[in-house]
Amino acid sequence: MENLPLAEPGVQLSVWALFLQAGWVVKLVMIGLLLASVWTWAIIVDKLIGYTRTRAAMNRFEQVFWSGQSLEELYRTLADRKTSGLSSIFVAAMREWKKSFEKGAKSAHGLQTRIDKAMDLALTREMERLEGRLGFLATIGSAAPFIGLFGTVVGIMTSFQAIAGSKSTNLAVVAPGIAEALLATAIGLLAAIPAVIAYNKLSSDVGKIGSRMEGFADEFSAILSRQIDEKVTAKAA
Amino acid sequence: MKAGLSTSVVLHATLLGFGLFSLSAPRAFEVADVEALPVSIIPMESLTQIQKGDKKATLSEKPAPLPTKRPDDVPDAREVGDNKIDTDKPPTPETKPTPMEATAAPPPAPEPKPQQPVKQAEVAPAPKPEPKPATPATEVAALPAPKEEVKPDPVKEAIAAEPVPTPDAAKLPDQAPAPQAKPQPPKAETAKAPERKEAEKPVKEAAARPKSDEKQFNADEVSALLNKAKAAGGGAKRSTEQASLGGDKTKGAKLSQSEMDALSTQLAGCWALPGAGGGEDLNGLRVSVRFNVDASGRVEGSPRVEKSSGNRNFDESALRAVRKCDRAGLLLPKDKSDTWAEIVVNFDPSQMLF
Repeated sequence: MENLPLAEPGVQLSVWALFLQAGWVVKLVMIGLLLASVWTWAIIVDKLIGYTRTRAAMNRFEQVFWSGQSLEELYRTLADRKTSGLSSIFVAAMREWKKSFEKGAKSAHGLQTRIDKAMDLALTREMERLEGRLGFLATIGSAAPFIGLFGTVVGIMTSFQAIAGSKSTNLAVVAPGIAEALLATAIGLLAAIPAVIAYNKLSSDVGKIGSRMEGFADEFSAILSRQIDEKVTAKAA
Repeated sequence: MKAGLSTSVVLHATLLGFGLFSLSAPRAFEVADVEALPVSIIPMESLTQIQKGDKKATLSEKPAPLPTKRPDDVPDAREVGDNKIDTDKPPTPETKPTPMEATAAPPPAPEPKPQQPVKQAEVAPAPKPEPKPATPATEVAALPAPKEEVKPDPVKEAIAAEPVPTPDAAKLPDQAPAPQAKPQPPKAETAKAPERKEAEKPVKEAAARPKSDEKQFNADEVSALLNKAKAAGGGAKRSTEQASLGGDKTKGAKLSQSEMDALSTQLAGCWALPGAGGGEDLNGLRVSVRFNVDASGRVEGSPRVEKSSGNRNFDESALRAVRKCDRAGLLLPKDKSDTWAEIVVNFDPSQMLF
């Protein structure tokens, strides 16, 4: 940034020159907004990649899960790996199932409740991970225009003070200060618009992924409940 | 998260770099010098600066009046015309040429008459300077005339030489009466003064003319002016050039910028744009209106559209503006009536200031 030369040394109205001419408050606001924009885009890119991966992993897992493979076998392959999405819910439920049967569960109802609780916990953790930092996008989307506006108001205020000092109302005196102040609002909007759009899209994506996970959790819970019933009746018999 | 952050930073860096180079200062607006007045008077030199010529002839390079018919040259004539005698009165049209042809001959008759008074006037002052040698100090104008004519008098010259130191002239009369014992001259001076002045007037005029050394006193001119029988007027200078567009007289006077501005401001004030507020697009419309103004400053006849804008309402509005201003009285300098006999005005709303 520092080694970038001025676009045209003779003209004092280029974007870079406007930034340099601005007061320190306005400069601070502009730098802050620029950093917010950088962070916003970082989140956007990260989330887009993350959600695509999550969806692909969910598809793969469901394919394997419904392929007729034994759940014990599947658990053994997944237990050592770092899991995410559906597989983490599956692993959480299977871990609870295993622990209960290794120690010899007394009540089928208690086991069912514990497995559900474990799956809920895994689901919540997964959703937290997916939804993390989306709040930042929402904040930037709503606050950045105001921050930019604040910079503009301060810039216009100082430029009007300067005009009052110079005792000239010539437009050539008034214009540069206002142009530089408006740059703050421009940067604010530049940061806010992508943030708002991305927030809406990503939150709807998260919603879809979440409902899919919940659906899987319910389904798996039904499967496990059937198996518990089978084992309990086998023991009784 | 690392991938996202690095991607974002790279994206911003490229965008900023691109912006810094491509989004340099916007080009400054070009402000055209806009004329303030929507009504402009066409500065037609042929109208404002009238050269001598013929009103019906076509415009040619060299200004020239109608060619004259008489071949005989009159020496020292200045005004162009078919007249025998040079006068600067404009030629009056001969509406009734029939009865006066015969009486046109008599001009020679009045000729001696004007000469006689002149001669008398010339003769009369000649002897008079003699008795009053001391007086010349008071009447400087009269002095040169007698001097020329009374050359033969050596005595007078001698006397005139004495009072030459005019500053002393004031003292001289004081001394003069006492030693010379001439009581009459001072008295005669007061008594004769009124007489002499009357008598000298024609002489003065006659004497003043030759001094301008261009135009000799011409008794013929006087007779021509006195002659009411035939339509008089017109000069005696002959012209053989092809007639060119122009007026009867050469008028160097132009409407000054402030006079033009006064008129255009007045017309702009009288002008109400048609359909103002009606949303009609008047941009690009422009109409030229021509009107004649008589010597009293009134529009003669009615103004005509010289070059229509294509929009009838618009043309009508310009004509209405001229008529409205005419009712109030056009702001034109009265002494330049020849320069504004015909006026062409452009009405252009794009130059109207709101």
